[in-house]
Amino acid sequence: MDAVEKANAATQRKWAKDAKIGEGTYAVVYKGREVSTGRQVAIKKIKVGQFKDGLDMSAIREVKYLRELKHQNVIELLDVFSSKTNLNLVLEFLDTDLELVIKDRSLVFLPADIKAWIAMTFRGLEFCHRNWILHRDLKPNNLLISANGQLKLADFGLARDFADPGYKMTCQVITRWYRPPELLFGCRYYSTAVDIWSVGCIFAELMLRTPYLPGESDLDQLKTTFRALGTPTEEEWPGHSKLPDFISVGQFPRTPLRDLFTAATADCLNLLNKCLIYDPKKRISAKDALNHPYFFALPYPSHPSKLPKPAKKVSPLEEMDGNVDHSGPGPAVRANPPNKLKRKLSTAEGGADPRSIARKLDFTQQSPG
Amino acid sequence: MATASENPSTPSAKIPLYEGSTQFRHWRFSPEQLAETRSIMNANAVKAIRDAFEADSAGSSSEVLFLSADEENLLVKLYASKVSQLCGHFRFPEEVEATAVTYLKRFYLKNTVMDYHPKNVMLTALFIATKTTNHPISLEAYANHIPKTLPSDVLDLEFLVAQSLGFDFAIWHAHRALWGMWLDIQNLPDLRMDELRQAYEIALKHVRASRLTDAELIYTPSQIALACFSLASPSLASAWSRSQFSSAPPSPPSPAPSPESALLEILEPIKSMILNHGVLPDVEAVREVDRRLRLCKNPEKVVGSSAYKRKLDEKERKAAEKRTRKAERIRKAIEDGDPFGTALKEQELDDDDDDDEEE
Ligand SMILES: Nc1ncnc2c1ncn2[C@@H]1O[C@H](COP(=O)(O)OP(=O)(O)OP(=O)(O)O)[C@@H](O)[C@H]1O
Ligand SMILES: [Mg+2]
Repeated sequence: MDAVEKANAATQRKWAKDAKIGEGTYAVVYKGREVSTGRQVAIKKIKVGQFKDGLDMSAIREVKYLRELKHQNVIELLDVFSSKTNLNLVLEFLDTDLELVIKDRSLVFLPADIKAWIAMTFRGLEFCHRNWILHRDLKPNNLLISANGQLKLADFGLARDFADPGYKMTCQVITRWYRPPELLFGCRYYSTAVDIWSVGCIFAELMLRTPYLPGESDLDQLKTTFRALGTPTEEEWPGHSKLPDFISVGQFPRTPLRDLFTAATADCLNLLNKCLIYDPKKRISAKDALNHPYFFALPYPSHPSKLPKPAKKVSPLEEMDGNVDHSGPGPAVRANPPNKLKRKLSTAEGGADPRSIARKLDFTQQSPG
Repeated sequence: MATASENPSTPSAKIPLYEGSTQFRHWRFSPEQLAETRSIMNANAVKAIRDAFEADSAGSSSEVLFLSADEENLLVKLYASKVSQLCGHFRFPEEVEATAVTYLKRFYLKNTVMDYHPKNVMLTALFIATKTTNHPISLEAYANHIPKTLPSDVLDLEFLVAQSLGFDFAIWHAHRALWGMWLDIQNLPDLRMDELRQAYEIALKHVRASRLTDAELIYTPSQIALACFSLASPSLASAWSRSQFSSAPPSPPSPAPSPESALLEILEPIKSMILNHGVLPDVEAVREVDRRLRLCKNPEKVVGSSAYKRKLDEKERKAAEKRTRKAERIRKAIEDGDPFGTALKEQELDDDDDDDEEE
């Protein structure tokens, strides 16, 4: 056996795979443990054989970024090994996610709890952005929570780096309800601000306990957004009407955030507002957000171990079968959760059609020299 | 109540980003370590292949002239230079090219050319690089544009290459560092833009030449970039270095050399490496190595050879043994009146698990 295969086999033997705990779009997730210590882990098994173009882009992105990122608020990738035609990612085991927490109607959130979750989200995100990485799929379901309450950014299947100045990127990213208006208008040169908008939506959702901007289609997403925050003017967001997919969806007045978020403090609304500024250039950065007075004002963020958690861990398998009703009482979610766009992205940022390779690379290529 | 560590503005990673990278942690060597890594790898490979020859027919390995570590490296270097041609053909951005070259070099720190020919590995490394740098192209389009290459030629090695890279896909490149330096330098006072631009273009050529050397396995991207700048324009490079240290508090007067002169000092070996080795290998020398490679490549890797068949048979025998053991376990569980007991539980839940550990 080759040295490389031997090393892989040795890695594989370090981890034991137990029962299946969930299934995503491109992977099956198992409970597992480290053989030598018994430490619990999650093993995400990605089938490679099924993709005609070999190793799948989502898997590649996830491995590429998680191998570089080590931070308390980013899910830890402990190991990678392959078995036959599968790629296995050994991840730290995380009990639950923010979506399940939000949907558990038996839990009461204190303002200090919301502050803690948002602070942890910003800390993880600031670290990504400092490393020139855009997450591009932030939503409660991708914010996993550990047994001791730490929140971790997960699911880097859509992430990319943005160190290249002026590089054209696809706008088909971020699950619709968390997608900023510049992407809905087809903007192809965007940056960290797209993730900040998503955090703003999550922030609002934590207070409302229901998705803040649940559009039913991409067009409706714009309407829903403008109905809540007012139709942007050329003054507050210069140039937006020149964006590729700009469309006028009507004039809506801006409702003060205060009307909807009646219990929030002024600091809280000030930060929320800065996350949801239309002009991406004026939207707050993760770094500045962490220095915002909101985080230094009373009440201080709850200690992670004190944060509310669903009592019974809902099995993801049950959830998939639709046996568990998350809607419960309280404000109902009107729209169905938008579909994932992950698969479609595989070729969206590069050439696919052989005849158009040269042409395509031509206009994406903005060589620095 | 927030504890100190809960302070939202506390940055939790104090180390510079590059030093936390897999490149820094896994892929940097001293020149001696690098030479040793290669010679150990080569020695192990020769031993294994010699054994394979002997297993085929006793005494058959005595005549074979195996490649040395240096000869292997020469061949890898040739194919590193071909990446550039191929990328020109596809009009891939520089990042794709640089990444593929790095993958190719790293691959051969773990594998021998006598097992895997660099031509094939180069094609796979480049294909992976298009994906990891976010410039994917369909496998079909890729293979169609390369003569005598089937999609399966590219895909067959994909897993092995990814494994050999340790799944460390992110690469820090010298051309990126150079670009940053170029932007920085523009802030210096009293510069002539045309002169600067010209220096940058020349430095970039040196960066490209450095890809044919071991520089990236030994030095940091910014060291390489600065060395290249220094080759292009020593005065600009030292002006830039001075500006990097001018923001630091002035050090007390001492006989020790200034930090920037220490910095410029370590550039010397990089510069000579680029000038001496950043050139295409001699065609005749490579041809000779390639000719010998045909005679000393691992017979176990030659599809259809008897050694290859024997290895395949061995694998099949092991798999059959495993199936028998598994069936035995199940039979026993049923006999024990425990069909849903521990022996079966795993398979029950693990219905699509087709890859138990190898024995
Ligand atoms: N680190 C982990 N610890 C514990 N459970 C996990 C972990 N990662 C994933 N899971 C479980 O496995 C399920 C599938 O995860 P995965 O990330 O593959 O897909 P997803 O996020 O649900 O869907 P998609 O792939 O569409 O984003 C999750 O819903 C979760 O229940
Ligand atoms: Mg997910």
